[in-house]
Amino acid sequence: MMESERALAQPPVGSSADGQVERWRAEFPYHWDADDLVARRQLLRFAVYSAGALFASTAFLALLGALTGRAHPAAKQVARVGDVPEGRALYFAYPEPDDQAMLLHLPGGRFVAYSQRCTHLSCAVYYQPERGRLYCPCHEGVFNPLTGDPVAGPPQRPLARIALRRDGDVLYAVGVEA
Amino acid sequence: MPDGAGYVGGKRPDELVAARPPPGQGPVVGAALAVGILLMGVQLWLLTIALDLYLAGKGAQVWGIAAVSGLIFLGGLVVLWVLGRRPRTITRWR
Repeated sequence: MMESERALAQPPVGSSADGQVERWRAEFPYHWDADDLVARRQLLRFAVYSAGALFASTAFLALLGALTGRAHPAAKQVARVGDVPEGRALYFAYPEPDDQAMLLHLPGGRFVAYSQRCTHLSCAVYYQPERGRLYCPCHEGVFNPLTGDPVAGPPQRPLARIALRRDGDVLYAVGVEA
Repeated sequence: MPDGAGYVGGKRPDELVAARPPPGQGPVVGAALAVGILLMGVQLWLLTIALDLYLAGKGAQVWGIAAVSGLIFLGGLVVLWVLGRRPRTITRWR
């Protein structure tokens, strides 16, 4: 007879006086001695190790933030003023070739530029001049084209703004403002 | 002192860890566990704030949060060290 079968054959603790086994014990013959006990000290040690892992994750984010925050992208020519009609957008890459951005020529003649990366889950954001908004089709996020602030949908943070410099009739992207 | 009969290297062996704690230490370990798990929740909250700041491009502000998280971890290590020490014994001098 195996150990587990022998344990089941013994009268359980929940037997009543007339020898009848309580129904729940018969259906759930669980024995404390078969349990894998964890002492409080072991649990405390595990908790401290987990705290160490959480600290390491936070420190890693701080390190990553410090490393990426130091990079100052070089200025890049985006377009000539006449290339983008009023109420239209020009899509370009800045500061890296994989970082999509958009230059907006707002009604009134003002130029602004934002990263196309949605601050919700990094989908591409598009300008919809007919509705006067920046729109993320993934989760219906909407941003204000004047400020880049979120106005509807799940995004909570504004779009990263790209600083522009106008030199004659040429527009340059000169940095990314978080 | 043979292994298992005492505390080798100032550390309580596993078989004694699993055994009943010395009188009076049970509640201390329980309290340390409760406070530790509570502080772990605080650390998790700090991590979410750090992630939010990092994604917002304000990575420079994460250092302060990492320092607080590190202090909590350090406190946990100290508690673990204190509880792992050999308990004081009362010696009767003749």
